[in-house]
Amino acid sequence: MDEVIISGLTKKFDDLTAVDHIELSVPEGSIYGLLGPNGAGKSTTIRLLCTLLRPNEGTAKVGGFDVIESPVQVREITGVLPEEGNHTLYQTMSAYENLEYFGKLYGIPINELHGRIEELLTFMDLWERKDDPAGELSTGNRQRLALCRALLHRPKVLLLDEPTSALDPVAAKRVRELILSLAEKYKQTFFINSHNLSEVQRMCDRIAIIDEGQILISGDTEELRSRLQASENFRIRVVEDQETALSIIKSMNFVTSVDREADSILATIDDPINNNTILLQALLSKGVRIIEFAEEEASLEDLYLDVIKGGVK
Amino acid sequence: MSLQKSMLVARADLKMAMKVNYVKYGLILIAAIGPVMLILTVLLIALTAPTAAAATLAMIDPLLSPMIGIVAIIPASLISANALVGEREQNTLEPLLCTPLTDRELLLGKLLSSFIPSIALLLGSILITEVCTIFILMYIGSEIVLIPGISSLFLLLTAGPTIILAMVSVMILISGKVKRVYEAYQTSGATVMIFILPMLLPMISMDAGGNVDMNLVWFSNFITLLISAILAIATWALAIGRFNRDKMVSM
Repeated sequence: MDEVIISGLTKKFDDLTAVDHIELSVPEGSIYGLLGPNGAGKSTTIRLLCTLLRPNEGTAKVGGFDVIESPVQVREITGVLPEEGNHTLYQTMSAYENLEYFGKLYGIPINELHGRIEELLTFMDLWERKDDPAGELSTGNRQRLALCRALLHRPKVLLLDEPTSALDPVAAKRVRELILSLAEKYKQTFFINSHNLSEVQRMCDRIAIIDEGQILISGDTEELRSRLQASENFRIRVVEDQETALSIIKSMNFVTSVDREADSILATIDDPINNNTILLQALLSKGVRIIEFAEEEASLEDLYLDVIKGGVK
Repeated sequence: MSLQKSMLVARADLKMAMKVNYVKYGLILIAAIGPVMLILTVLLIALTAPTAAAATLAMIDPLLSPMIGIVAIIPASLISANALVGEREQNTLEPLLCTPLTDRELLLGKLLSSFIPSIALLLGSILITEVCTIFILMYIGSEIVLIPGISSLFLLLTAGPTIILAMVSVMILISGKVKRVYEAYQTSGATVMIFILPMLLPMISMDAGGNVDMNLVWFSNFITLLISAILAIATWALAIGRFNRDKMVSM
């Protein structure tokens, strides 16, 4: 069953069409990533799904409820982490008070509320800081507190807008781990906006790529990666004489691009089945000692760039 | 509609506002202007004409006492100016709008968060003025009169809250339309000037000779109440009708 169904959804701001007739469906219990560059329409899509914005055309259903006809019911079953979530807390309220306030607004019974707050704050390693004003917490802790707020009423669908933006790598990793463990523990559906490709690759089982308000591609993450053409990119690592190797590789007319990356050379080779042997022979004949000559695995970044450039449909 | 949820919003707003001392004491200071002016007038009359003090005060009461109501409108405008645009500036508007609160519940919560302290300040001002007046008149051995008197109390306790309600409603409407808190504050100044006008109506009850016609006082009080009620209903309906989540988020 699909938890989120978007059909022909369109949002215009004056002359700008931020979201342009998009079609999406998010299966129940999945972690769905919406990828795209800044201004692609990712945040607008989340704002439409959580009923902050009203679509100009099309429909969207979240947990079976229509965002236009039943906005209150949609808000009851969704948890939202807005863009720059760490800035969206009441700064003078303590971490506990922030959650208590929202818990009551979501109608959580008082006798359950304390237990849930304690469970979440403990899970997020924030229980010790529960009495600190939110404004005095670190960016990472505030982001985790904002995530607690989104999870407090145990929503069926979590809409997270750039959950790790503005976080240092350690804090970002912690938030990613939390999302994965929460998805496993509570079996909730996650809809995540991001322009961080590696993050999406690590977390999401399904993705869509959006640009200029339109969905360019969507589907299972691994399936989409496999749809890429066989890679023509190769990583070559040599011992000591990297300069010699570099000049030999560059001199080959079937090598279309060469890049240096730490101790490796990255080369794009036309017709690699035939030409790799020629390149290897040329390197070996000049006495270059090769440690590695390996095909680069197609990454989500390759897919993303191909899609944005119009290579994959 | 759940009044309980509106009260939650109001309580949270009040709690946050009262944590800031300059807000708390600033509002008390503004509201104190009315009682202080009245008490000083009573004191002046009591000291300069002690034998005629009670009669003089009873006569000028319908002209003086509305001052308390006029001054009480100012804190109401200041608190409500911050209602929605303040949430936007603090970036807390989106999470609040993502909760299952309906538009009416949210707006009623914002209305109560301004209305409750304003009414508390109004009632406090009336009580302090009454107590101080009685004390001053007792001290000089004069006959006791109430300042505010019965007709003024009627005005302050009926038209006072109603005009505050109208003021708060229109400020919430403005607060949802402007981009910055300072814009809301600037607008509140002009709005206050318009909304105090009904409270000045009792002044028509004084004739050229300085005498006050009590029939006219009561008539003007009822007219003031009627105007305030119409304003309150119209502005609240406007605030509800013009509330637009989409526009507030898109700003």
